[in-house]
Amino acid sequence: MKSINTTTLKKFDLLFIAIAFVMLGYLVTFQRTTDFIIFCIFVVSYDLIYGYMGRLSFGHMLYLGTGAYATALFCDHVSSNPLLAILAGVVCSALLGAVLGPIVTRTTGACFALINLAFNQVGYFLVLIGFSSYTGGEDGMSAFFGNLGPINFNNKMTVYVFCLTIMLFVVYFVRRLTSSPFGILLLTIKENESRSQFLGYNTVIYKLIAFIISTGIAGLAGGLSILNYTYVTPSFIDPTRNVEVIFASLIGGAGSLYGALAGGITYMMISNYLPNYIQRWEMFLGIMLLILVFWFRAGVWGYLTRFSGKPGKEMGS
Amino acid sequence: MASSVILETKGLSKSFGDFTAVEMVDYSICEGESAGIIGPNGAGKSTFFNLLTGMFPPSKGMIRFMGSDITDQASFKRVSLGLVRTFQLVSVFNSLTVLDNLVLAAVPFNSQFTRMSRFMLGSAHRDEVLSLCEESLIRAGLEQKRWSLTSELSYGEKRMLEIAMALLLNPKVLLLDEPLAGLSEFEISDVLSIINSLREQLTLVIIEHKISRLVGIVERLSVMHQGQIIAEGLPDQVLCDPTVRRVYWGADDQACET
Repeated sequence: MKSINTTTLKKFDLLFIAIAFVMLGYLVTFQRTTDFIIFCIFVVSYDLIYGYMGRLSFGHMLYLGTGAYATALFCDHVSSNPLLAILAGVVCSALLGAVLGPIVTRTTGACFALINLAFNQVGYFLVLIGFSSYTGGEDGMSAFFGNLGPINFNNKMTVYVFCLTIMLFVVYFVRRLTSSPFGILLLTIKENESRSQFLGYNTVIYKLIAFIISTGIAGLAGGLSILNYTYVTPSFIDPTRNVEVIFASLIGGAGSLYGALAGGITYMMISNYLPNYIQRWEMFLGIMLLILVFWFRAGVWGYLTRFSGKPGKEMGS
Repeated sequence: MASSVILETKGLSKSFGDFTAVEMVDYSICEGESAGIIGPNGAGKSTFFNLLTGMFPPSKGMIRFMGSDITDQASFKRVSLGLVRTFQLVSVFNSLTVLDNLVLAAVPFNSQFTRMSRFMLGSAHRDEVLSLCEESLIRAGLEQKRWSLTSELSYGEKRMLEIAMALLLNPKVLLLDEPLAGLSEFEISDVLSIINSLREQLTLVIIEHKISRLVGIVERLSVMHQGQIIAEGLPDQVLCDPTVRRVYWGADDQACET
């Protein structure tokens, strides 16, 4: 039976999340929280293909970077309307996902991870050298957003509220997606894809759809980062930064929307504050990964909800 | 009679390297018929099912289902045409709840969910879906366990769930691969009563080891041996066939009744 606390959580989850992020804003400053929010959106997009569909990717930064660069380029060359620019980022990332998806989603396991990494490397190279006349190469480029009616996007508080609103929409959308039959199907693709085909599902199409949605949301996170930073550098598409999102997914517990948010916040807290105390703070992440893998396979969120009555949908990887 | 043939194969063969698992099988089944396939281990029965359902393509030969050639069709297409199977080793989704397993089987060919937006954004636990699953839950005796994780079920319960899922797909032909294997006597009678109730509604093909179980259920029995069908006919006749008895029980003479 569903327990009380998870049902109420389901009903008011957007409210809870909003309150949590406002409190976080007072705790660690709103400017930092904007960073947290954007990262959380990225983790949610990653969790869709890793946690739900069960495909570990080492190349999701490609789509964040594509969204970021597309937003910046659109802003500089077409229109400085922030909404349109971010939309352009989302569309470009989703299109790239639609082009690469048919190749990438054919594969599983290590092959999926590495093909994504390979594409990410190609994208990184193109931004750094290939298209450097457009992207500014190593120096990156800046983007100046105009006002949207009376709203001034150069105000950090405005950006914070805007990003929070967008994140709530994303959470709502992804929750609808994952609690639909489609969401269940994604979980079965993770467990046994050929069996899902014997239920009459053309899994190839559904994997592609999930991939495109995920890349689109990653592009949204990229676009929002540009809104926040007003500049973009190749670090936005750097393949080595994939570790961050994988880490956040593992910390939160793969395959759970709230887990993705919890993981995103936890990772950002660690990476923002631990360097103040420990110089080589990455070592701590390594130790934490060991602890997670050995004792908390379901992540922070999986551990918290373990006793709530409703069986956790699935354990970590 | 030829007009009512619903599923047939012509010269169906499958080789894995040098080993030929299924060799030149001509098999046909008429609408509404219940047929059984028996044979010793490694005879190619399950491979034959895998070929029928499109798990892998045949090396040679063709498969016709309801008048159309499905030899090259993907497995999910065959399911949508009404060719549904269960597996020798029960195959359900252990990471999902019992209910979600059924939801997934209830949805794909239901007219309410052909719209993509419904399928992708509508809740999986809406009343329309749940009412579709309710009857299956009761029939499978799992109404108390709907929220349980499938991994917590016993093997027999998983078998019931798998059959319930297959039935939700509205099959025209149901292929059951050793549905009684690994079950207790008590569970066997449950599964048998379900199979019995299905005989009037749809076409059944059952692979089974326990020959005695099949005799009461199927109207026609085929015997596979080393990838070929070596005998076919009424169950009693087939079991008395000298070739069959040599293959199944060795050379020694045993009573016809098993």
